Amino acid sequence: MAHVHDHDHPHNKPLSDVELRVKALESVLTEKDLIDAEAIDLIVETFETRIGPRNGAKVVARAWTDPDYKKRLLENATDAIAELGFSGVQGEDMIVVENTDAVHNIVVCTLCSCYPWPTLGLPPVWYKAAPYRSKVVKDPRGVLDEFGVSLPEDTEIRVWDSNAELRYLVLPRRPDGTDGMSEGELAAIVTRDSMIGTGLAGAS
Amino acid sequence: MPTLTKDVVPGLIATGASCRIDEDVAPKFKPGDAVVTRNINPVTHTRLPRYVRGKRGVVERDHGVFAFPDTSAHGGGEKPQHVYSVKFSFQELWGEDHAGNMYLYIDMFDDYMRPAS
Repeated sequence: MAHVHDHDHPHNKPLSDVELRVKALESVLTEKDLIDAEAIDLIVETFETRIGPRNGAKVVARAWTDPDYKKRLLENATDAIAELGFSGVQGEDMIVVENTDAVHNIVVCTLCSCYPWPTLGLPPVWYKAAPYRSKVVKDPRGVLDEFGVSLPEDTEIRVWDSNAELRYLVLPRRPDGTDGMSEGELAAIVTRDSMIGTGLAGAS
Repeated sequence: MPTLTKDVVPGLIATGASCRIDEDVAPKFKPGDAVVTRNINPVTHTRLPRYVRGKRGVVERDHGVFAFPDTSAHGGGEKPQHVYSVKFSFQELWGEDHAGNMYLYIDMFDDYMRPAS
């Protein structure tokens, strides 16, 4: 992989345990002829450049502007998302939950790091970390506070633990004052965190 | 095992591998049913997290039939069964001092639940 020298990490530092373990695994899998280095590079490149939260933002913007699409999305998310060309690994069976004035949804995987890859890409580090996973099912308002989100006391909170085979995407509430915006402009204000439920759309 | 080569990667990423099983298995529960999750403590793979064991909830939605990870993860067969979205109140999970408008939804297999009496 190309190594661009515009950063300042020291090159004489020993590798971390995780880096060593990954290198050892890659070596043994390559020697056993189970993987091919070019295949691994392509997987990394795909998730670094092609699949990410911009996909989910397009789904959200379509749902905000097309009531029929939104209806299909809430009834059969997997098929509705595939209409826009997004499907595959870790998005085989999708559920979309809608945020409204009365209800706020948040997604977690308490058992590991399950996450809808085709629409959101790979999960952020905090999503996979124990502090988020253990706290959000017990004190979601506390977690929202850490993310700078404050909701009225009478807003119902729904936490979705994607412990099994379903993967969840939050349809955030469309911000006020966006009536004149195009679908493309709307997609630009949909953040990754707003589709996990730890943020609101339109917030930076 | 075949080698994972570059040419199979795009198809693999685009299609994935659903654990959904196209088999006609009767559901043991239906939306609206009150259930209690089993208080079991497997030492092997399970998708029943400790914090929902032995808790009372309500079935919200039937997701259809899926392979059962508790057996399929160990070569014990797919044991196809229904998976449901089940709703628990925070008061049930964490205590009566929690707000009454907070809920946890989690996906439960038939084998994780029994009807609430």
